[in-house]
Amino acid sequence: MKTLRKGAPLLALMTAMTMALPVSAQDAGKISEDPLELTIHFHFRDKYVYSEKWPVEQKAAEITNIHVRNVASLATTSSRDAFNLLIASGDLPDIVGGDANGGLKEDFIRYGLEGAFIPLDDLIEENAPNLKAFFDSHKDIRNAISGPDGKLYFIPYVPDGKYSRGWFIRQDWLDKLGLKQPETPEEVYEVLKAFRDKDPNGNGKKDEVPYFAREEIDAVRLINLWDARVSGSERYGDFAVYDGQLRHPWAEENYKIGISNVAKWYKEGLIDKEIFTRGARSREYLLGNDLGGMTHDWFASTSTYNDALSPKIEGFALKPMLPPKTASGQRFEDSRRLRVQPVGWAISATNEHPVETIKYFDFWFSQQGRTLSNFGVEGKTYEMVDGKPQFKKEVLDNKDPVNAQLWAVGAQVPRGYWMDYEYERQWTNKIALEGIDLYDKCNCLKDEFMGVSLNADEKATFDRYWPSLLTYMTEMQQTWVLGAQDVNTGWDAYKKRLTALGYDEVIKIMQSAYDRQYKAAQ
Amino acid sequence: MKQTYQQRFQDLWGDMRRDWQLYLLLAPMAIWFALFLYKPMYGLVIAFQDFSIFRGIEKSPWVGFANFVELFQNDMFVRAFWNTITISGLGLIFAFPVPIILALMFNEVQNEVGRRWAQTIVYLPHFISVVIVAGIVINFLSPSIGIVNLILKGIGLEPIYFLTQPEWFRPVFIGSSVWKESGFESIVYLAAIAGVSPTLYESARVDGASRWQMMWRITLPCILPTIVIMLIIRIGNLVEVGFEYIILLYRPSTYESADVVSTFIYRTGLQGTQYDLATAAGLFNAVIAFVLVYSANRISRKVSSTSLW
Repeated sequence: MKTLRKGAPLLALMTAMTMALPVSAQDAGKISEDPLELTIHFHFRDKYVYSEKWPVEQKAAEITNIHVRNVASLATTSSRDAFNLLIASGDLPDIVGGDANGGLKEDFIRYGLEGAFIPLDDLIEENAPNLKAFFDSHKDIRNAISGPDGKLYFIPYVPDGKYSRGWFIRQDWLDKLGLKQPETPEEVYEVLKAFRDKDPNGNGKKDEVPYFAREEIDAVRLINLWDARVSGSERYGDFAVYDGQLRHPWAEENYKIGISNVAKWYKEGLIDKEIFTRGARSREYLLGNDLGGMTHDWFASTSTYNDALSPKIEGFALKPMLPPKTASGQRFEDSRRLRVQPVGWAISATNEHPVETIKYFDFWFSQQGRTLSNFGVEGKTYEMVDGKPQFKKEVLDNKDPVNAQLWAVGAQVPRGYWMDYEYERQWTNKIALEGIDLYDKCNCLKDEFMGVSLNADEKATFDRYWPSLLTYMTEMQQTWVLGAQDVNTGWDAYKKRLTALGYDEVIKIMQSAYDRQYKAAQ
Repeated sequence: MKQTYQQRFQDLWGDMRRDWQLYLLLAPMAIWFALFLYKPMYGLVIAFQDFSIFRGIEKSPWVGFANFVELFQNDMFVRAFWNTITISGLGLIFAFPVPIILALMFNEVQNEVGRRWAQTIVYLPHFISVVIVAGIVINFLSPSIGIVNLILKGIGLEPIYFLTQPEWFRPVFIGSSVWKESGFESIVYLAAIAGVSPTLYESARVDGASRWQMMWRITLPCILPTIVIMLIIRIGNLVEVGFEYIILLYRPSTYESADVVSTFIYRTGLQGTQYDLATAAGLFNAVIAFVLVYSANRISRKVSSTSLW
């Protein structure tokens, strides 16, 4: 312990502590000889907290000898409030994790820089072979979640699988009208017009809603047909990367063309009149009443309407289709699954066992821990078939969705873990899998903008300009689509106003943060 | 006679011992005020800080008026401020007289049963949560299935997508607020009317005054102090608009006429976790409200000799 008194760097301390630990900690075995209790604040999906009673947690405790005890209150119905209250109290448990509205990435980094959470880089280097291997092979994820100082402050939940949303069309309507799946913007126009005019639902009324969307992000998705993008990520209105240059898709020239066409289609009744107000239940309502013709939405959940509605509506077939070619003849899919979620867990500065804690985090990235966090406990929710985990039949056939059943046992909860797409594939509808296959062959995803961490100066600039800019751009988007103003006459004024509101300043700091985070590290 | 503080204190103590029941009744309200309105005032200092919830008020750095400068340079805030004044001002013009008229009308209804029914019906919306009222409004005004548009279509007019058009937001907002609240607000005036001495009406009747004259010459002047007090309170709330209701009704396409200071605070302050900026906006709001109440009170005291203090 002499090294300590000389004021040796943190690294030496870590090494000393590692050596003091039993050798068995090398594998996924016991991390601590005696049972070690760590406290955790873990509130998620606005209503769940970490539980010692979860079979998954009990299994993990049995393997690692680390017992995690939750301190978050179940009485709070907002994970965001629970987190903010915890930070404001200043009294942090050993581990802080979970999710919250808007994600916790920025919070982990911000409060990490202020001294609430410790940087994990050295700890990972010394003690966490699985995490190290993961980050070495996923540099972009590491870059995306590190702070402006280049350090890691939390271990994220890493989703698996590439696809989130895709295009869906009523194949039975197409067949009935003798049309084929549209391949170009012109063909989409013809198909939507036919849906509007030729009464494909056969009730004698002109009540069809040719294009509809459930979520804000898909409301103007048709601008893709003119090469414009809605967002550079799954977050609505996010920046996008154009050949290494960060810009906002709503300030691009092709956006003007896209929006003017969408506005025209809206006026002609090809797009749901209530596209901005119908809200979350629009899909259920419009499909269930045999009204909706085409949409852009999540593969898995949208496909299930085929099973749910075929007894009610004869011949109902809502099929995934490839993105139509754009006006410039390309084919691209705008949305994709986030490669890393802005949630996970972090180690508090007051934690007296950082090495054990990082080893515990590491456990969840080992093969054993990954299976446990994805599939639950062997024999209870899954069984090994040919060396691979396979959900039991009663789990797949249960009336509750598989993910809800897994949450109940402590699997698939937003701790720092690496999802395995196989878990989702096993209970995904056949039609959705076909769609995903289709998109996989097309290979037409765009690069995702994975976010940047701003330093204090950049953050000040961003906070000064960005909220107003985003408000203005969203406002104009709707104003144009709804036809209150004309895009073509208003575009120059729009661009001028963006400049006046500080668009160039925001892009400048975003670009410098982006370069620092993604280019320097390569 | 000039009293020393000691004497005053002794007098107060004596009063309190004598009327302890009254003070006991006052206590819960006083404690409520102290706990929920005075104690949190300490938090206002974060308007002058670069505030971080982890550092707390003690350790966050001071930045002077920087948050206010940022606020006034933000034209979204300036727009929100004028929207607030406009919406409240229009509300004052159109919504404030309604409960008074309602109260006068109830007062004139002869049939006791009919009057009870009518009163209950106009009170009822007050007890419905704003979330539900917003749902009702959205459904009524829906361009495809809303009853308003069905009527418009029925008489051969084009349906209007009310909730996405900036020029329709204020009428919809104020109109539905009137429907929801004016019945309940009329209770105050009804109580005031009940307090008017019947002898006044009797002598007027002897003099051959019509009902209309009695209303103009007796009822209205007698409830005028109540009206003025309500007006002063209302002016104090000029910079506050029921923000939950706006959040439920507005959308980006109507921000232009619907975005008010409290929704601005909600979006930038709470959703964007800029607590310092949000507090600055709130403090600014409170200062304006204070100035308004103070001047309204002064004017009223001079003009009508009725005032809050």
